[in-house]
Amino acid sequence: MFRKVLIANRGEIAVRVMRTLREMGISTVAVYSDADRTSLHVRMADEAEHVGPSPSGESYLRIDRILDAARKYGAEAIHPGYGFLSENAEFAAACEDSGIVFIGPSAASIRSMGSKTAARQVAIAAGTPVVPGTDHGVTAEEAREFGRTHGYPVLLKAVAGGGGKGMRRVDREADLESALRDASSEAERSFRNAEVYVEKLIERPRHIEIQLMGDRHGNMIHLGERECSIQRRHQKVLEECPSPLVARYPEMRREMGEAAVRAARAAGYYNAGTVEFLVDQDRHFYFLEMNTRLQVEHPVTELVTGLDLVRMQVEIAAGGRLPLTQEEVSWRGSSIECRIYAEDPYNNFLPYPGKLTRLTRPLGPGVRLDGCVYDGWTVPMEYDPLLAKLAVWAENREAATARMIRALREYDVGGIRTNIGFFRQILEDPDFAAARLHTGFIEEFFVRQPSHESPPEFAAVAALAAALHASSRTTPEAAPAGASAWLTAGREGLLR
Amino acid sequence: MKLDLTINGADKRIDLLTHAPGVRFRFGDGEESAAHVETPEPGVYSILIGGRSYDARVEEAPNCLIVVIDGHRFEVEVRDPRRRARRSAGRHGEGVQDIVAPMPGKVIRVLIAPGDVVSPGQGLVVVEAMKMQNELKAQREARVAIVHAREGATVAAGEILVTLE
Repeated sequence: MFRKVLIANRGEIAVRVMRTLREMGISTVAVYSDADRTSLHVRMADEAEHVGPSPSGESYLRIDRILDAARKYGAEAIHPGYGFLSENAEFAAACEDSGIVFIGPSAASIRSMGSKTAARQVAIAAGTPVVPGTDHGVTAEEAREFGRTHGYPVLLKAVAGGGGKGMRRVDREADLESALRDASSEAERSFRNAEVYVEKLIERPRHIEIQLMGDRHGNMIHLGERECSIQRRHQKVLEECPSPLVARYPEMRREMGEAAVRAARAAGYYNAGTVEFLVDQDRHFYFLEMNTRLQVEHPVTELVTGLDLVRMQVEIAAGGRLPLTQEEVSWRGSSIECRIYAEDPYNNFLPYPGKLTRLTRPLGPGVRLDGCVYDGWTVPMEYDPLLAKLAVWAENREAATARMIRALREYDVGGIRTNIGFFRQILEDPDFAAARLHTGFIEEFFVRQPSHESPPEFAAVAALAAALHASSRTTPEAAPAGASAWLTAGREGLLR
Repeated sequence: MKLDLTINGADKRIDLLTHAPGVRFRFGDGEESAAHVETPEPGVYSILIGGRSYDARVEEAPNCLIVVIDGHRFEVEVRDPRRRARRSAGRHGEGVQDIVAPMPGKVIRVLIAPGDVVSPGQGLVVVEAMKMQNELKAQREARVAIVHAREGATVAAGEILVTLE
């Protein structure tokens, strides 16, 4: 087993990986940019190395600096987390060349499954159903042709993409060219690859994915599915295991699991990976893409299967065998995860970085929190706004929902905006309870505007709190920059 | 101390008669009520009214206060009725409009110059935070009066970027 591992990442996932490494008795090396000197992953690690300025292109994406850090501290392996270099075949190859173990699949597997279009070819060859689409990056002319052949709406996606970056829905040809330009420039910025492909859009699909784990001895199993249909801006925000649809039609787990294993095997895959499927209204599933890394939402699988996916990744990377067979995998109870973001759900989910002035974490039975925040930390504006993942486990979905609502009630983050309150509205929505899920759920939720009736006296209590708050602001220093008229008025009124 | 409030769109007047912790207050011409109020953490008001316990969390937004009680969210504007409410930023009068930053971030691009005539939907300024770019667009045809935004500058939420007329 390794004695020391470098984590080529930041934020909650760096902290998550370190926790398991520490439990395994493995020493940890963090890397950090200028913006992250005081971030939790640096404070928590045994050793930490500065790898450059805040823009990730000059720090977390610098293969040379990450490898230098690994050599400097004598790390035998690198865990890439998710995002950044995790799906970069060049990085995996550079690790292999330097004699440092990349905790993930081979560079060749990343190449064949990491590109969405190449992965489609592998899936088609393996007999896994796919959504109609082009197999390569397209020009505006080719995209137009595709739209004329298959009809609108279509979806533009970054060839090297993930996390919804470089993705655009297009409803008519007139919008195609500008959407292609936007998607392409976003793809360039996010992945350094401007190529965008186009596929037919399936209306109101569910997003259900299969967790895979394979060792380097030819064994591969699936660890069941995750339902990730609740998304905003094509990015998952709430995930659950089991999928309520699969819970109702249990044969789907076996069918999708086998299809996923088949596709991954075709790519000679090992370590953790996830095959994402779109599921249409008639429960047909289509291969969407494969993520050749640990997923953000892996905790729900861990809670239901009782496995530690990071530990399995590390053991497999060190040459170990899978600790269990497919028949030995069991799923117990129900788990839900909410991704807590620094963003304003009531203003188009725009990110909201800043300094945390208060923090109360949810605790108690069945609650797990994977986070990177602490009271007084300033959330940097350079990176993804994910603050923490709040996951719960309970004996069934109804109980898990109630537990999550309870945990969200305890969770308080002050000074910045978060989506904590918004999740509670989602979880209390009858459509969520009835599991009428699809990837447009949140957009429709805003259109439906289900009444979120508060107890009648709450408005009066809120009014009292606001009045007390405004009247307590007696010194100009207490006012934030750009204090608006109400604040000045309240203050001057009190001084009189 | 009397304050005028607009809470989730509804107007209310509150009269605060005594200070915390033993607050006596009255809404409009209603009956006087009593609340026991402590501030255990900055921006958190623990309020006991008739034995019921409320934890109200107050955040300052550019144009209002956001109060969250048990996950329920209220937007509250507070004004002192003895002062004429000053015109808030963004409403100078007929035809003038300020475009403000919707989030804290960095100005990536300024797409217009003073004197330009912009059409509805035309991009004005691009603000970026956390890898999300947000292009602020003109709502209607207008002339660019002042460009406050500078490329590369860091801006706070609510900061004026462009003034249109």
